Amino acid sequence: MSGRSEQEQLFREVARRELAAGRIDRRDFLTRSLLTGLGAAGVGAVARSGIESAFAADSRPLTPTFYQWIQDLHPAIPEVNKRFPGINYQIAPVEGFGIERFVAEAKNKQSTWDVYVGQTPFIEMTAFIKAGVIEPWDNYIPKEVIDDIIPSIRAECSVDGKLYSWPFLLDVIGSAWHSGITSKAGVPDAAPATWDEFLVSSKKIVDSKAAPWGATFDAHGWRSLVPVTHSMSTKVYTDGLFDFTSDPAIEALKLMKQIMAYSNPDILLEGSSDAGVNSTTDEIAFQAQRVGLYFKYFNSPLRMAASWDDPKLLHLGPLPKFTNGEGSTVFWTTGCALFKYGQNKEKAAEYIKALTYDQQIWKDSIVGTPGVHPGQLPPYKSIYADWDAKKPDWMPPFVGLVRSQLDRAKAIDNNLFGLQQFVIGKPIWETYLKGQEPDPKVAMTKVKEAVQAEIKKG
Amino acid sequence: MTLEADHAEITNLRDEGASSAGGSALRHVVINLFNLIIVLPLAWVLMLSVKSLPDAARGDFWPKRFDFTHYGFVFQHIATLPINLFNSIYVTAATVLLTTTCAVLAGYALVHIKPIGAGLVVTALLVSLYFPVRVVSIISIYETQHWLGLINHTSGLILPYITLQLAISILIMRSMFQLVPHEMFESARIDGAGHWRALWEVGLPMVRNGLVVIFIVNFVAAWGEYLLCLTLIDDEAKRTMPVVLAAAQGGQGQWAWPNLAAVYVIVVTPGIIAFTFAQRLFFKGLLEGALKG
Amino acid sequence: MAQAILDSKNELAGRVAEGPVDAVRKGLGDWLFLAPAIIFFVGYQVWPIVRVLWLSFTNFEFLSDKPAQWVGFANYAQALQDPLMWASLGRAALFTIMFLPGTIILPLLLAILVDRVGNQRLATLYRVILLIPAVIPSTLIFVLWKWMYNYQSGPINHLLVNVFGLFTLQNAPQWLGGTALTLPAIAIMEIWWGLGYHTIFFIAGLAAIPKELPDAARIDGAGEWQVFWHVTRPQLAPIMMILVVLRFGSAMAVIDEYLIFGGFNRASPTYTWTMFMYDQAFKTGLWRQGYAAAIGMIGAIAMMFVMAGLIWVFRPKG
Repeated sequence: MSGRSEQEQLFREVARRELAAGRIDRRDFLTRSLLTGLGAAGVGAVARSGIESAFAADSRPLTPTFYQWIQDLHPAIPEVNKRFPGINYQIAPVEGFGIERFVAEAKNKQSTWDVYVGQTPFIEMTAFIKAGVIEPWDNYIPKEVIDDIIPSIRAECSVDGKLYSWPFLLDVIGSAWHSGITSKAGVPDAAPATWDEFLVSSKKIVDSKAAPWGATFDAHGWRSLVPVTHSMSTKVYTDGLFDFTSDPAIEALKLMKQIMAYSNPDILLEGSSDAGVNSTTDEIAFQAQRVGLYFKYFNSPLRMAASWDDPKLLHLGPLPKFTNGEGSTVFWTTGCALFKYGQNKEKAAEYIKALTYDQQIWKDSIVGTPGVHPGQLPPYKSIYADWDAKKPDWMPPFVGLVRSQLDRAKAIDNNLFGLQQFVIGKPIWETYLKGQEPDPKVAMTKVKEAVQAEIKKG
Repeated sequence: MTLEADHAEITNLRDEGASSAGGSALRHVVINLFNLIIVLPLAWVLMLSVKSLPDAARGDFWPKRFDFTHYGFVFQHIATLPINLFNSIYVTAATVLLTTTCAVLAGYALVHIKPIGAGLVVTALLVSLYFPVRVVSIISIYETQHWLGLINHTSGLILPYITLQLAISILIMRSMFQLVPHEMFESARIDGAGHWRALWEVGLPMVRNGLVVIFIVNFVAAWGEYLLCLTLIDDEAKRTMPVVLAAAQGGQGQWAWPNLAAVYVIVVTPGIIAFTFAQRLFFKGLLEGALKG
Repeated sequence: MAQAILDSKNELAGRVAEGPVDAVRKGLGDWLFLAPAIIFFVGYQVWPIVRVLWLSFTNFEFLSDKPAQWVGFANYAQALQDPLMWASLGRAALFTIMFLPGTIILPLLLAILVDRVGNQRLATLYRVILLIPAVIPSTLIFVLWKWMYNYQSGPINHLLVNVFGLFTLQNAPQWLGGTALTLPAIAIMEIWWGLGYHTIFFIAGLAAIPKELPDAARIDGAGEWQVFWHVTRPQLAPIMMILVVLRFGSAMAVIDEYLIFGGFNRASPTYTWTMFMYDQAFKTGLWRQGYAAAIGMIGAIAMMFVMAGLIWVFRPKG
């Protein structure tokens, strides 16, 4: 056991650094220091830390909490924080989980945090509103800011005319392609304008053996069924729920089946992280440089291409359309929610404004930094207008093309089942994609019934 | 003493004379086939940790280009790595220590003190082994932890972790103490020692192999726990290493596959080495009656 | 374990025989040793189950701001009418059937082989190698096999496609992610994981068999198979029962693997009653934890019945 005291020193040092970085509080630090020495004293420390209230006194510094991935993707955030001395910056819920803590606190009319950066409206905003966790920004957000939000995004973030999510990071579904593969196959090095072109190019890639597969997509509804549907029409919502049996949705499903003729055969499998939603098979195929065309939110192909032999071969563009399509793609924003029982609400608005207009964040997001390349876009009209007026030398062409789609694009309607309807429906509409059910309309009718049945259970 | 019967002696008594030399060779072939099945996936991970990024996206065992920088990368560029490692070590050490303490005290009490209601306790412990407590209780454990203010505190994990293998640990210790003659404690106490000293000075040395068994059982349970940590801790910096690895956005950025594999090797190796040394005692512990638990 | 049950009965009988006053006086001080274990056990095992049982009779929804109401057996009635409840129980049972035989028989076979290895060093080496997976934390086992089974970059399909040429990239097996192969794939992983651990249990059991028994049988002219069936197997029966019952319990209540490998796809074979419960409790609507609690209790009670049957089947005979 000669190395033991050395190890203890090391653990203490780690704990000390964490304390300094604000990752753990003093109590945790104390507990750990005690328990590093272990012994029965540790038991008492654990017990004490539990009984103490977790909530700070009445006045406190501005306390925002961020998703881990947001900090990972946007390294300039700490720079913004420096302009807000005393800010108690926290990393809290990990993606896909963690909102129960907010709800549990709200029931006690408390909130550890003032503002939550990481809310995606169609996924969780309705639940937050119903549970009384958040309040609208309207009393705190400056008028010029709320008017600056791109209208379709403002609609996404509003319920009954009130802004419940201050949009921050915009993810849009668009095209991506491996230009090494497309040029080898003799396919134009540009985003296909229509789905017909998309199919022709996919076939060429397979036929020319430039890659094993022509095209791929993420089988989760909000990443494939919805954007394809929207590219025909965005008028596909009733009472906040997606109209699975509408013509555009049926056409979208039929197109997906056509694409699957040229795609990786495992395309319908669940992914292998975050309960099947991430690390999906399309990503793995694209990362392995085995497929030419792709459509997904831009962050995904950018992340995948980082593992290519030459990441520069990745090119991006807007989503294709149906020949007479009047709609446009789908997008979602990751925004900021204002806790009803939080504090420092004016200060929070000031902070979020500084954060969402920060030029460095947007440049890093679009160009990428040595570590990451998020490809997320800003939500404000004025930022794009400024870029139009004086194009920065780092600006890639896809940003302008995507911006022009946004006026006609639409987010998924807010509903308690906004995300769930696609989780419930996926296995059912896939009976058509797998060929078990010949009629897409029958499959989609069953989806609709299953969603209704689930909602009635509540 | 049968208690001290060495496994080596037992094994040496079992010669291979019963079967032919051909049968013996076949036996080794079959065993090594299984060994190979065990080792190959781990060897593959080891290889993955030294592959270049494009190679990692393909399945080849032997990469086109080796890249040994991943081990350095994970320590330099994944800021949370030492923290998560520390969390794991801290939670696991505390869990193992506290559970063992509880189990030794309870095992001793159930056999040599026999307080009123001991039978009921044993029955309850046994029933809990059959009931899927871990899964069903998750809803209300969240509630309890919230009530104690322990959500999102790494230390808070220790409390539910103690009970992961508590019942089996107590039952194992109980079996171990049943092997120790009651008179040994009686005579120690006649000599003026209380229960505490009798347990410490007479009991513990007698049950040390059983201790190894419950050490390992609890180590494995706490070191790898997923559901509770995932549910009770939201902050990645407060989670344990395996949960962070499982939730890592597989394949990209700082968690590119070779990096993941490097962390994997780092996390797994100490346990394997430690166990290699402890396995003899573990095995003896099983022989001595831990199996009855 | 059967031994433990018997012992507990004996102890109970012993208690009754003593005088009550004496016992109470003695009891208070003596409980000190049991107290730490009991506090944790009650706090984190008994109470949560009692609480979940109570919740299962209410319409508690976590995100709702309305207080929960007592609804009697409504949740149970609703769950039992839900085809998903039965399907999800059936899937758990299916997995258990795939998993259980392999996880008992292979280690038994291996234990008999390793037990016969005369060379002490070699025997130890075999034991150590076999036990490597047992000291890898569960979560990391799943991460490992997530790689192994990956359709496109996993070594298993790489072997099948590129090395042996048995399949092409178009028709290679799709292991994880909700196909029919997912449950067998997970079962294979679990068997791999438990192989060494269970083997060691059996080796310890074999080592405890007095050497005279099989020798006597051999002298009587019994073949190796007869020795195994009539001498070794009955001696190992208690260990078998422990393993069968415990592994049955863990197999029926698997959740982590399904969370990692199958997601919340309701058509996936991995969507068992545990996933159904978790989905309703933390993912669906306003988080119907009352309903989820009823699903959990139904699953647990169904398991307990089968376990009681298993204990009866494997009970020590004679």
